[in-house]
Amino acid sequence: MTKYILKRLIILLFTLWIVITLTFFLMQIMPGTPFNNPHLSAQAIAQMNETYGLDKPLWQQYLTYLVNALHGDLGTSFQYQNQSVSMLIGQRLPISAQLGLQALVVGLVVGLWLGSVSARHQNSKLDGTLGVFSTLGIAMPSFIIAIALLYLFGYEWQLFPVSGWGDSFSETVLPTLALAAAPAAVTARFVRSEMIESLHSDYIELARAKGLSDKELVNHHAYRNSLIPVLTLIGPMAANLLTGSVLVENIFSIPGIGQQFVSSIPTKDFPVIMGTTIVYAAMLMFMILVTDVLTAVVDPRVRLQ
Amino acid sequence: MMNDTILQVKDLVVDFNTYAGKVQAIRNISFDLKKGETLAIVGESGSGKSVTTKTLMGLNAENARIAEDSQLIFKGNDLSKLDAKGWQKIRGNEIAMVFQDPMTSLDPTMKIGQQIAEPILKHQNVSKAEAMEQALKLMVGVGIPEPKEHINDYPHQWSGGMRQRAVIAIALAANPDILIADEPTTALDVTIQAQILRMMKDQQAKYHSSIIFITHDLGVVAGIADRVAVMYAGKIVEYGTVDEIYFNPQHPYTWGLLDSMPTTDTKQGSLEAIPGTPPDLLYPPKGDAFANRNQFALAIDHEQQPPFFKVSDSHYAATWLLDERAPKVTPPAPILQRWQHWHDMQAQGV
Repeated sequence: MTKYILKRLIILLFTLWIVITLTFFLMQIMPGTPFNNPHLSAQAIAQMNETYGLDKPLWQQYLTYLVNALHGDLGTSFQYQNQSVSMLIGQRLPISAQLGLQALVVGLVVGLWLGSVSARHQNSKLDGTLGVFSTLGIAMPSFIIAIALLYLFGYEWQLFPVSGWGDSFSETVLPTLALAAAPAAVTARFVRSEMIESLHSDYIELARAKGLSDKELVNHHAYRNSLIPVLTLIGPMAANLLTGSVLVENIFSIPGIGQQFVSSIPTKDFPVIMGTTIVYAAMLMFMILVTDVLTAVVDPRVRLQ
Repeated sequence: MMNDTILQVKDLVVDFNTYAGKVQAIRNISFDLKKGETLAIVGESGSGKSVTTKTLMGLNAENARIAEDSQLIFKGNDLSKLDAKGWQKIRGNEIAMVFQDPMTSLDPTMKIGQQIAEPILKHQNVSKAEAMEQALKLMVGVGIPEPKEHINDYPHQWSGGMRQRAVIAIALAANPDILIADEPTTALDVTIQAQILRMMKDQQAKYHSSIIFITHDLGVVAGIADRVAVMYAGKIVEYGTVDEIYFNPQHPYTWGLLDSMPTTDTKQGSLEAIPGTPPDLLYPPKGDAFANRNQFALAIDHEQQPPFFKVSDSHYAATWLLDERAPKVTPPAPILQRWQHWHDMQAQGV
């Protein structure tokens, strides 16, 4: 197992290098330059380019970036002068990550519960109602859910603060719910279909023939078998949630990294684009690795291969 | 063999409500099962043999309905009136089932030893350690080599034959009165089939259980069954002892089944088949369901269902050919040979 994880980590680093390379050169294809403020003189721009090393040949810039990145130096933001990208990410990522983690936990717990309830009452009215909600959860963009939550819980009933960060846990409730809706809906649908398939399998019929009750069938056999495929969902979902959401962070005025990620692109803040992309890619690959290891722990068929 | 009856099925009718209408899967069958005996139910796909066994386990799909006046008397109680709780006490405990496909009928994420111990824990008041101890003994009984080393294996580590042994061990776990085996060897290699059947017979002798053996393969039946019931289109058309069915068959459908079974005498390329297909049980025919495929069919076969005619105390067949007014027909040559053999056996007093 250790050998397997090490191998995966090496592949992860290699993939990360490919991501860095592709992003680096793709950025150059974008039209315009980072310093296109009309008030800047040509001389000032030339000086800026020199300061940031943008006057050097591309391959040299690329090598410099790689070497620096290997030393943990991701450069300095163009947009926020004198602020290193590492610091920027260091300040903002934990906020997004906390929010994302809360949303992930809520989404998974609610999704698992709703999905298994639906599956056990397949084609009932309850199943139909839950189906409508999970379709809504998937179909509605998070910002609409966010605004609806804001209006109901923040304005109409005044149960939770409408915006802000860092003062109290209650501030995190509405953005967490807004972010959790889609993963909860996706998980619920997935768990439902996996559970239904499991409940109609031969091994459940054999277990029923042993005299087990419906509850025992679900708890001893159906759950484990239908949760294994769900694990594969968690990797991308976690990476997605932990790296922040522009819309939700904007609506609730949360100083997370999501907003940074997007605003760096039109301003061509190259170091920030690179830094956030690396973080996102690393997070995604790491989460997939974690779920693969988890799958191997839970599924005996994977463990021994 | 003891002669007391353990199960009595009376006038069993099972319908399935589907979008297309009511499928009459079981159209009034009756049979009984004695303690320690093996009854084979033989028939082709869709004849109702699997529905019969699922009914006896209370495992029919939700759209199945057992008719009000059907009775399934097991040890004095009518199973057809049981609720969910009642069935849980019967299943895996007093009536157990061996399923057809060992590759899919074990839980892939649970250790095999645990799966065998599960019915023991459910039905007997024992500790987990004792249940595992019993599971180990069962594994020895069904012929799993080095059971101690393999008790913590998962199903994917085992071959199909070994898995079917585990499935049989699960069925035997609570020492059931009736073991229902639904084509237990169909999914296995022919070489493994014989081993599994012999092992089942050994275990049956050890536990004194009765077996209901479902199959479409008459070849398998000869080695394992005491009595045979032939099913067609949701009805039993003929039943008797193994010898009576093999050597003195009376129903043209039984003739067809025996004829289409390869024997050592079968010449290459001359295997017989029964022409046509079974009737649609959404709209079962008025008369004998087999009439349309039956070259010996009489006019009355298309009009009226034949009653059971007694051939001997243990042998009955539902065919108008046995009516005293019916013309004498000559069955196909291989059946005549069987009759001749039967005649010789009777003469020798076997």
